[in-house]
Amino acid sequence: MATTACFIIVSRNDIPIYEAEVGSATKREDAAQMHQFILHAALDIVQDLAWTTSAMYLKAIDRFNDMILLNPLYLPGSRITSSHFDTKVRALARKYL
Amino acid sequence: MDPAKTSLGKMLLEEITPVVMVLRTPLVEESCLKNSLSFIEMLSPFCDFNNIDVPVRTSSDQPYRLQKFKLRLFYESDIKQPDIVVAKERLKQVITEAGEKDRSDLSTDPLDISNILASSKSEISPSWFEIFNKELVRTVSFSEHEAFDHPVACVSVVSSKDEQPINKFVDLFNTNKLPSLLNDGAMDPKILKHYVLVHDNKDGPSEKATKILTEMKNTFGFNGCHLLCINSSQDEQIEHQDNPWAPYKFDSSPSQDLGRYLNIDDFNEIKDLIQELSSKHIIPYMEQRVRVLNQQVSATRKGFRNQIKNLWWRKGKEDTPDSSNGPMYTYSSVESQIRVLGDYAFMLGDYELALSNYRLISTDYKIDKAWKRYAGVQEMMGLTYFMLDQSRKEADNCMENAFNTYLKLGSSGRQYATRCGLWWIEMLKMKDQFKEAATVYFRICSEELLHSAVMLEQASYCYLLSQPPMLHKYGFHLVLSGDRYKKCDQIKHAIRTYRNAVSVYKGTPWSYIKDHVHFHIGQCYGFLGMYDVAFTHMLEVLACSHQSKATQELFLREFLQIVQKAGKTFEVLTLQLPVINTSSLKVDFEDHRTYALPGSTSVKESVWRSLEEDMIPSLPTARTNWLELQSKLLPKHKESNICVAGEAIKIAIEFKNPLEIPISISSVSLICELSATSDETNSDASCSTAGIWNNEEHENLREIISDTSSFSLSEVNISLGGGEANLVQLTVTPKVEGILKIVGVRWKLSGSVVGFYSFGSNYVKKKIAKGRRKAKQSPSNYLEFIVIQSLPKLEGFIHALPEKAYAGHLQHLVLELRNRSEVSVKNLKMKTSHPRFLNIGKQEDLDLEFPACLEKKTNVSPPANPKIASHGVFLFPEDLSVQGENPLLWPLWFRAAVPGNISLQVVIYYEMGDLSSAMRYRILRMHYNLQVLPSLDVSFKISPYPSRLQEFLVHMDVVNKTNSESIQVNQLSTIGSHWEISLLQPIDTIFPSQSLIAGQAFSCFFVLKNCRKSLSTEESTSSLFPHIGSNVSLVPDGSKGAPFDTSKSPLAGFHDYERLQHGISNQVGKNIQKRFWFAVAVLFFLMTIYNSSNALASIVLKTLDSTSISDQLSDEASGNQVGWHDVSLAKDSKIESEALRNHVRKSLLPESVSPFIWSGSSSTGVQIKPLSTTEIPLQICVFSPGTYDLSNYVLNWNLQPVKDHENVGERTQSSGTSLGYPYYLTVLPSD
Repeated sequence: MATTACFIIVSRNDIPIYEAEVGSATKREDAAQMHQFILHAALDIVQDLAWTTSAMYLKAIDRFNDMILLNPLYLPGSRITSSHFDTKVRALARKYL
Repeated sequence: MDPAKTSLGKMLLEEITPVVMVLRTPLVEESCLKNSLSFIEMLSPFCDFNNIDVPVRTSSDQPYRLQKFKLRLFYESDIKQPDIVVAKERLKQVITEAGEKDRSDLSTDPLDISNILASSKSEISPSWFEIFNKELVRTVSFSEHEAFDHPVACVSVVSSKDEQPINKFVDLFNTNKLPSLLNDGAMDPKILKHYVLVHDNKDGPSEKATKILTEMKNTFGFNGCHLLCINSSQDEQIEHQDNPWAPYKFDSSPSQDLGRYLNIDDFNEIKDLIQELSSKHIIPYMEQRVRVLNQQVSATRKGFRNQIKNLWWRKGKEDTPDSSNGPMYTYSSVESQIRVLGDYAFMLGDYELALSNYRLISTDYKIDKAWKRYAGVQEMMGLTYFMLDQSRKEADNCMENAFNTYLKLGSSGRQYATRCGLWWIEMLKMKDQFKEAATVYFRICSEELLHSAVMLEQASYCYLLSQPPMLHKYGFHLVLSGDRYKKCDQIKHAIRTYRNAVSVYKGTPWSYIKDHVHFHIGQCYGFLGMYDVAFTHMLEVLACSHQSKATQELFLREFLQIVQKAGKTFEVLTLQLPVINTSSLKVDFEDHRTYALPGSTSVKESVWRSLEEDMIPSLPTARTNWLELQSKLLPKHKESNICVAGEAIKIAIEFKNPLEIPISISSVSLICELSATSDETNSDASCSTAGIWNNEEHENLREIISDTSSFSLSEVNISLGGGEANLVQLTVTPKVEGILKIVGVRWKLSGSVVGFYSFGSNYVKKKIAKGRRKAKQSPSNYLEFIVIQSLPKLEGFIHALPEKAYAGHLQHLVLELRNRSEVSVKNLKMKTSHPRFLNIGKQEDLDLEFPACLEKKTNVSPPANPKIASHGVFLFPEDLSVQGENPLLWPLWFRAAVPGNISLQVVIYYEMGDLSSAMRYRILRMHYNLQVLPSLDVSFKISPYPSRLQEFLVHMDVVNKTNSESIQVNQLSTIGSHWEISLLQPIDTIFPSQSLIAGQAFSCFFVLKNCRKSLSTEESTSSLFPHIGSNVSLVPDGSKGAPFDTSKSPLAGFHDYERLQHGISNQVGKNIQKRFWFAVAVLFFLMTIYNSSNALASIVLKTLDSTSISDQLSDEASGNQVGWHDVSLAKDSKIESEALRNHVRKSLLPESVSPFIWSGSSSTGVQIKPLSTTEIPLQICVFSPGTYDLSNYVLNWNLQPVKDHENVGERTQSSGTSLGYPYYLTVLPSD
C-alpha cells in the first residue's frame, strides 16, 4: 500500500529541527505544506498531553530533549543537517511503511 | 446563569416561536409599499414582546406568566422549505456584505499574538457570524418533521379598496396557494384564523372601512376581525428617530424612507393589533391546544397499560420499509400530536411538559426508525434540557445524538445537522467548552467551500478562546478557512483570516507554513490592488529554497507581477534575494600600503610586515610625521582606516542565489557616506550604523544614496543561475577628504525591486584582508575610512614574469614603475621575498641582450655587486624620482631555483616628494604566484683519483625530469678559481644525440683538479671567494657560441643566494635559455684541541679518506684511547652556523667510498702549551646530501717531559694514538 508520512522533530518553542518525508506514495504538490500544517497544529495536543500524562509516546519526546541537553555540539533550535541521521531515519521509516 | 439570558437562549426564544401565516391582497401590499415596506415588514417591529405578561396555564392547574413572546410572520408563499439554491445565494450575500462592511483597515500590520490573546471575546470574532448562523438556521425552516415552524394562526388581510372585501377574505383562504404543509396533511389545516382590514388613510376617510368591518364581524365572528388604518400622515413625511423598521430591512434602501407616512397613531394601532392578536388569540389558542393534546396523550399513551400496548403495537410494525423518513405521520397521528404538544409547550415556556413529551415521542420514532424525526426530537430535547438548565450531560448527549443521526441521513440531513451543530456549539460555548465547540464547527464543514470557510474561521476563534489558548490549531484553522475564502473569491475575508494567521506564524521556522501564509495573503492583497502590502508579504516567500522548482517559479512570478502591477520601484531593506554572504565580505583598500595586483591582498599581512621590516622608518619617526598629523586632523577617528582620495576602495561580497531558477541582479553598488571633516559631529549623530534599521534610517539611507557628489561608485550587473554564488567586486572612490563610511550594498532584482543590505545591521564578524594596527575594533569601524588628500601612488608591474617555468629557468625581466600623480616620489627601496628567484639587476642591465649577455666576454670587468643594503634591501639611486608619464624601468633577473609553487612577493618603498602630505611614505606590494616544474636532476659523485693527489673523479648523472621537453646540456662550470674541470672522454662518444628527451638520463665523467697549492686559514674563512672557475662545454665546439660566464652577474648573484640558502648546491649546467651551474661545496672546520696537562704537547692530526683505513687503525690504537676527551662543540661551529644546518644523526653511510673527502693538508702537526688551546683547520668537500661521520682521522699525541720533576712519579703515559671521535654532519638537499 502506498502510504506517505511526514516525520518532524520539533524542539522547544516549536522549532522544527528535522524534517523527513517518507513513504512511497507519489507526492502531491502541496503535500509538504499540508504535512507541516497538520503537524504544527497537532502540537497543541502534544503540549496538552505532555502535561497530563507521563506515559505514552511522549516519554520519547522527553528523552529526546535530554539528548539535546547532553549534546554539547548541538545549538538548541538549530537544524539537524546530518545526512547520516537522515538516511537512518528513512531506513527506519521504510520498515514501518 | 439564566439560560434564557444566554445567547443560545435568546436565539431559541427568537427562532422557536409561533409562526403566523399572513394572506393578503395585492392592494394591501400596495398601500404598505408607500412606506417602502411590505405588510409583514411593517408589522415586524411589533411582533417581539419582551414583557407581554400574559398568564398561561398549560397542563398543570397552576398558571404562570409568560413574559418573552414573539410572533414570526410569514406570507403563505414563504411557508415552505427554502429553495437550496436561493438559500445558498442568500448566505453568500450575507458573507459578501459582511466582507464589504468589514472595513477594518486591511492594510495595517497584523496584530501581535499576545495582543490578540489579550483582547476580549467580542473583539475576537466578527459580529456578522451571528447573522450568518441565523440565516443558516433559517435555511432549514418549515420542515414537516418538526412542529414549531408550522403556522399556529392565519391572518387574512384585505384592503378597504378591494372590491367585495368579504369575498376576498374567503378567496384568500381557499386558494390552492396555501403551503403544502397544510395541504399534504403534515399539519392540521384547521388553524386559528384572523381577519384584518387595512385602510389607507390617503385614500380617504375610514367610513367605508368601518362599514366593511361591521360586515366582516357579521360574517367571520366578532372576535377575529380588525381594522388597521395606516398612512395617516397626510401632509408631511415623518422621519423616525431610530427607525424601528431598519433592522428588518435587509436590502439597502435608505432607512429614512421607511414608514414615512406612518404617524404615531398608525404606530400605536399596529402595536395594539399585534398585542391583541398575541395575548387574546394566539396564546390562549395555544394554551387550549396544549391542554387538549395533553389530555389525549395522557389518555392514549400515559400509564403502564398504554405503554405496553404501544410497544406491542409498534413491534408489530417492525417489518415496515426502513426509509430514512420512517413512516408517514399525518397530523392526526398520535406521534404528530405529541410533537405538536411538545413544541407548543416549548414555545409557551413550559419546558417540563415539552421535555416529557419529547421523551415519549423520541422512543417511538426510534423504534419506528423514523430517523429524521428522531433526530429532530433529540435536538429539541437537548435544547429543552438547556433551557431547563439541568443535566448538561444529557443535553450534550441529545445534541450529539441528534447531530450524528442527521449526518447519518446523508445529504438530506446535512443542513439539519448544521443547524443542530450550531445550537450545540452555542451550548458548549456557554459552558466554556471551546475546544469541543471547535471540533463541532469542524464537523459542520461540508463540501460547500464558503460555508466551510465560515465554520472553520469560527472554529479557529474557539481554539483561540479555549483555555489555555490553542494557538497552533487557531492558526491552522484560520489558514484552512482563508484558503476556502480565497477559492470562493471572498478576498476580504481571506485577508482577515490570513492576517490573523500571520500573527500566529510570525517568524516561524516552519518554512512551508510561512510560505503558504505569506504567499496567499500577498496574492489576496494583490487582488484588491493593495500592492504595497501584497509586496511586503510576497517578500517573505522569496527565499524559498526548500520549495520545488515549480513553486519557486510561481512565487517569483507572482512577486514580479505584483511589482509590475504596482508600477513603481520598491525599495526594500529586507530583500532576501539574493542571499548576501556577509562572512565573505572583503575590503581591499590602500593606505600607505598599496598593491600592484588584486591578488596581492591574499597574502598574509605578517608576510608583508616581515619583508618591510627593514625598509620602513622606525615608528617614532613615523609618529612625528603623518600619523601625528592625522590624529590632529581627526581626533575622534584614530582607529579608522586611512585611504587616499582618488583611490578606489574595493569591496568583494558574495551574492548567492538560493533558488533553483535563475535571477538577474542589476545595478549592484555600494552605499556610502562621505562627510567632510569639518561637520563631522553632525553627520555622526545622524547616522548610526549599528542596530536594526527603522524607517528613519531608511530615509537616511536614501539621502545617502542620493548624495554621490563626493565619491563615485561602481555598478555591476550579474545574473545568477540556480544555486549559483558570485563574488561581486565593488568599488568606491572618494573624491574629497573626509570620513567615508561604507554603509551597505544595494542592488536591483529583476530590474524592479531595489534591495538594501546594511553591513552594520548585522553584527557579523567582518573579514578584512589587511591586518590592522589595533586588533580589537568594532565591526563598523572596519568600514569607516579617513580619506586623506590625494597622494602619489606608484604602480608597479613586472613585464613578462612567467607563471610557469622549469627549474633553473633564467630570464631577464623589466620592472616598470609609474607614478601618475603630479608629485614625485623618491628614496625608492626594494626587496624581494625570494632572492633565489628574483634578483635585482643593475641599471645598465636594462638593455642587455639576453642570453648573449651571459656569454664570456674578453674584457671582463670586475663584478660589481648591486647596491644592496643590509637584509637584502635594494636601494635605488638616491637621485631617482618617479613622476609623470615616464615610467621607471629597472632590470630584474629571474631564476626558477627549485621546483614547486612559489609565492613571490616584491615590496617597493617610496617616500613622497611633497613633505606636507599626510603620509610620508608608501609601500607598493607586488605578489606573484609561480609554478616551477622540475627540469634536470643532476647528481654528482666525486671520488679521489686513485693515482693523483690533487685530482678527483667526478661522476655526473643527469636525468630529464620534465614531462615532454627535450633539453640540451651545454656547459658545466666549476666555481672557485682553484678548481679546474675537464671531460674524461670526448662528449661525442658519451652523448652523441646532444639532447635529452623527457625521462632520459645520461652519465659522464669529469676530472676535477685542485690547482691551489696550499690553503691558509684566512682564505678559507672568506665566504665570498671570486666566482672564477673553469667551464666544460658539453656540446661539440663552435655549435653554440661562447660559453656562459658563471662568474658574472646575474649567475654569480644567484649562486651566492643559493649558497646562502643551503650551503650546498649539487646540480646545474644547461641548454640555451635554461642554464645550470655546479658548485662543489667546500666546508671549513676548526678543530679545537685543549691541552689539559702541565706538559707541552705535540700533536699530529692525520685525516683518512677511507673508513676502511680507520678500521685497521682502530685495532692498533684501541689501547691508547685514554688521555683525549671529547669536549663540547659549541666553540667550533662558526662556519656551520653561517652556511650549514647540522643535525646529529645515528646513521652511518655504508659506502666504501665516502661521498665526501678531506681536503687541504692531510697531516698537521702542532705544539700546544700546557693548559692552552689551539685550533687546527680542517676542510672537506661534500658532493651530495647525506649524513657523514667525520671521525675518520687519527690523532697522535706526545707529551714533552716537564722540567719540574715533582710529578714524575705520577706520570704514567706520555704519548698515544687515538681515533677521531664521532662527529656527524648532515647535509640537507636544497629545498
